[in-house]
Amino acid sequence: MNKPIGSVRPSAILIPLIFLLCAPGRGQEQPPDPAQAPVLRYEIWADLDEVNKTLRGREDIVWTNRSAEPVGDMVFHLYWNAFKNEASTFLREARAETLWSRGAAPRDGEWGWIDVTSVRLADGPDLTPTMEFLSPDEPANPDDRTVMRVVFPEPVQPGDTVRLHLEFHSKIPRTVARSGYYRNSFFIAQWFPKPGVYEEGRGWNAHEYHQNSEFFADFADFVVHLTVPRDFVVGSSGKQTGIRVDEERGKTTYTCRQSMIHDFAWTAGDRYIKVERDFVADEEVTAEEYERTAELLGLPLEEVKLPNVRMILLFAPEHRKQIDRHFRALRAAIKYYGLWYGPYPYETVTMVDPPFRTGSGGMEYPTLFTAGTRVLPSRDVLSPEGVIVHEYGHAYWYGLVATNEFEEPWLDEGFTTYSTGRVLAVAYGPGAQPVSYNRIPLNSIFRMPKLFDFELNRAAAINIARFDPVTAWSWKFYNTASYGANVYMRAATLLETLERLLGEPTWARIMRTYHMRYRYKHPTTADFIAVVNELAGTDMTWYFEELLFATHDFDYGIASVSSLEKPRRLRGVFDVDGKKEEMTSKRIEALESEAAADPDGPAPKEYITTVVLRRFGEARVRGDARVEVLVRFKDGSTETRFWDGQDRWARLEFVKPVQVDWARVDPQGVWLIDANLANNSRGVDGLRKNVVRLMIRFFYNVQCVLQSLSAWS
Amino acid sequence: MSVIRSIGAGIGGTFRKRRLLLYLWAVNVVFALAVAAAPLVLIQKELGHSLLGSSIGVFDIPWLGEMVLKYQEALPALAAGLAVPALLFILLYVFLNGGILGRLLDREGPVTLAAFLSDCGRYAGRFFRLFLMSLVFYAVLFGGLLSLVSAGLKPWLEGARTEWPLLILSNLRFLVGLLLLSIVHMVFDYARIVIVADEERRAFRALRLALGFLKKRFFRAWALYLLIFLAFLAGTALDLVVSGRLAGPSTLAVILGLVWAQVMVVFQIWSKALYFSAQSEFYRMHPY
Repeated sequence: MNKPIGSVRPSAILIPLIFLLCAPGRGQEQPPDPAQAPVLRYEIWADLDEVNKTLRGREDIVWTNRSAEPVGDMVFHLYWNAFKNEASTFLREARAETLWSRGAAPRDGEWGWIDVTSVRLADGPDLTPTMEFLSPDEPANPDDRTVMRVVFPEPVQPGDTVRLHLEFHSKIPRTVARSGYYRNSFFIAQWFPKPGVYEEGRGWNAHEYHQNSEFFADFADFVVHLTVPRDFVVGSSGKQTGIRVDEERGKTTYTCRQSMIHDFAWTAGDRYIKVERDFVADEEVTAEEYERTAELLGLPLEEVKLPNVRMILLFAPEHRKQIDRHFRALRAAIKYYGLWYGPYPYETVTMVDPPFRTGSGGMEYPTLFTAGTRVLPSRDVLSPEGVIVHEYGHAYWYGLVATNEFEEPWLDEGFTTYSTGRVLAVAYGPGAQPVSYNRIPLNSIFRMPKLFDFELNRAAAINIARFDPVTAWSWKFYNTASYGANVYMRAATLLETLERLLGEPTWARIMRTYHMRYRYKHPTTADFIAVVNELAGTDMTWYFEELLFATHDFDYGIASVSSLEKPRRLRGVFDVDGKKEEMTSKRIEALESEAAADPDGPAPKEYITTVVLRRFGEARVRGDARVEVLVRFKDGSTETRFWDGQDRWARLEFVKPVQVDWARVDPQGVWLIDANLANNSRGVDGLRKNVVRLMIRFFYNVQCVLQSLSAWS
Repeated sequence: MSVIRSIGAGIGGTFRKRRLLLYLWAVNVVFALAVAAAPLVLIQKELGHSLLGSSIGVFDIPWLGEMVLKYQEALPALAAGLAVPALLFILLYVFLNGGILGRLLDREGPVTLAAFLSDCGRYAGRFFRLFLMSLVFYAVLFGGLLSLVSAGLKPWLEGARTEWPLLILSNLRFLVGLLLLSIVHMVFDYARIVIVADEERRAFRALRLALGFLKKRFFRAWALYLLIFLAFLAGTALDLVVSGRLAGPSTLAVILGLVWAQVMVVFQIWSKALYFSAQSEFYRMHPY
């Protein structure tokens, strides 16, 4: 039993209180700047029927019109209607997908949907009769039911607030696109009627749910009451602030709250085990690391200090041995994202080891994300670490910077993929490529190469440039492969290239400034480019035009390298002292013999070295950038030249007393996006030992394959 | 004991007829050269003069990405260029099997190229008919038996609460498939032995006789087959260890790597010959 407070000595309260005030606190929500106070407030009640796999919900919404124009309607996302039937835009696109599909249609009896049964203004008028479904995107699909509109009796004036009360009833799908159930495990995402984002002059930004699209919403304060069976463990966005048990119904209601987030996801199941640990900033980050970061970013030390964060892990019992791996990865992510981009502003982060067969792994939601692992993970492979670092990283881009994932998906996925690679590189180094058969890891048998993420990203990035620009809208990519490789890998590779081009200090400040300046806002690609130009001190717009908005390959290389002896004398007729004098081969020979007989010996030989550069790709360097060329000669001396890279080719000549050894473009390895690194260098000597070894190994593999085929004869 | 004695005698037989290994190795090298020539030229062209060639690994994903980009139009042709020789190599071995078995079973006979090719030709027709029959067995195995196994496992797989049943059952299915495959291979090995040892003229009757032979001593015959397979796996494991140690950049390492690779190819050829040799001994020890 707790002691009544009156029986405690004042010092017993004061001392811990002083400690509490002095100690670094958990991430505190930023004090809501009136201009930044959320546009929305939600209070939602949801009751899970685990037997019939349904949700019954109520939702109170308070929306403030921050625009300068009156708004006569409100548009909602009803995402689960994408899984209602095959007429939805989502499933039509999935069916038409040529390569592979992210969302296969549910099986018979496993469809999911959401019905809004009532929409009212809080002060009375029933808006239900005005409900209609919209098809805002091209090509129009009048059968889609994922965007709904209601009309207000009076337009909401600028600065005014409207309060709505909605009631809805949903059938939970059997897991499509990371929402759904398997047995008694539920992952509930994109589940409540969610208003679009009102954009002045453009109206409501609310797209249909597309196969290759994620989401976009306004920041809000959430209070959510989740009623689930008593034996279920619940994880959710935000912080659990209350629990109420209903013995009669055998249900428990959890109340969760969170300010300044733009979505709310939750999970419940009877197999989860919950573990909580703290990220203690002072134990994770050294004083030296703080100092180095502050210096790099040009910020006061206090601004780079990190808060403590409560880390919550919900995991499946069969993954018990991987708890430490999960927390280690999360601690690394909290540390490095925090140091580089800004402190994590929320008190909690919930990491969910997704329930078996809910297909909910590897997805981000505000203050909650899903990871994903196997019962037999490999020690050398950075899994689940990669997915943890990636999904947590979304908190910074999708979560806090909150770009429009329908229209500019690269601003989230690209930035997150790039950041993931950086964190993994610093915290773990390169990871081995996975090799397994039938879920059994074979990395201890087959030694796979260890690679950094940027190397893998590049391999995909160079192969996809010709299909789409990185900046295409999410459902307008050629196919899912182009969406994935452009938005994730090519975007990440372009950011990594830009980092190398601008240098670490400038780049670190760009990323920090972009992140902190646009926290809780919805920036666009143009905003990012503006930050780059501002901090780079030069106009880098060309970089984005050539590589981000265009579908160009970037490929500079060396076409040929050669050294020829420079003749001391040239044949032909020359004007000497007003007379024509012919230099014949015979005369040259005689003069050479004379020179050889000279006691000082002949003049040293000279060589003309010619290096031919090529621009194989369409993309060109522009602005202040130049293609650097390093030429090394046989005596070990080097020469560096710069080429503007505008023409298709250029020839460089050097006259030196030695022959060339090799030439290389981009010797610093700045242009990671270069589509062919093999042609970046060329030596005069032929076959290299390592290439011979490679060829032997390849040939041996062919021999082995052939021999194994003989067993089928 | 007859299993061990058969293997011992089989090993002796393969060493006595070691020239066979030389012929088969030469066939392998020539065929592999034909298959690998274009990719080898490509590797030389792309990396021979590039500084990247000095550091690139055997399975370099970034470089493979570049090659996919550069040669993506040629990839279907490349795939066909590998599939067609693969099929041809199988057919070639249908032909060569006659020579291998013919020479192994002719205990006192010499292993000359003429005798080898003569045996290849003598049994080619019957072995080809056996090969066609084996396709029916494979179809039954992969299309029928393994589908039945999958159907049997389906309730457990669909109702699984965790990943464990999937892992265990899918590997069980793989193991069952592997064992069934080994039985099919073994049956047809004995059918070939019947053709050569008993000069059986009809392939179908040889298959029937082989089945009859195995019916009486199935588990011993199967144990023999699996023991040789284990020896093959041990050799493969040794290769993984040794070849990893020969990955250095020195000239000596490159030469040793080449020699070791060919030793391993000969080992694989020897394993194939050992199957025939040991099973022939087993067949000889159990007249019926």
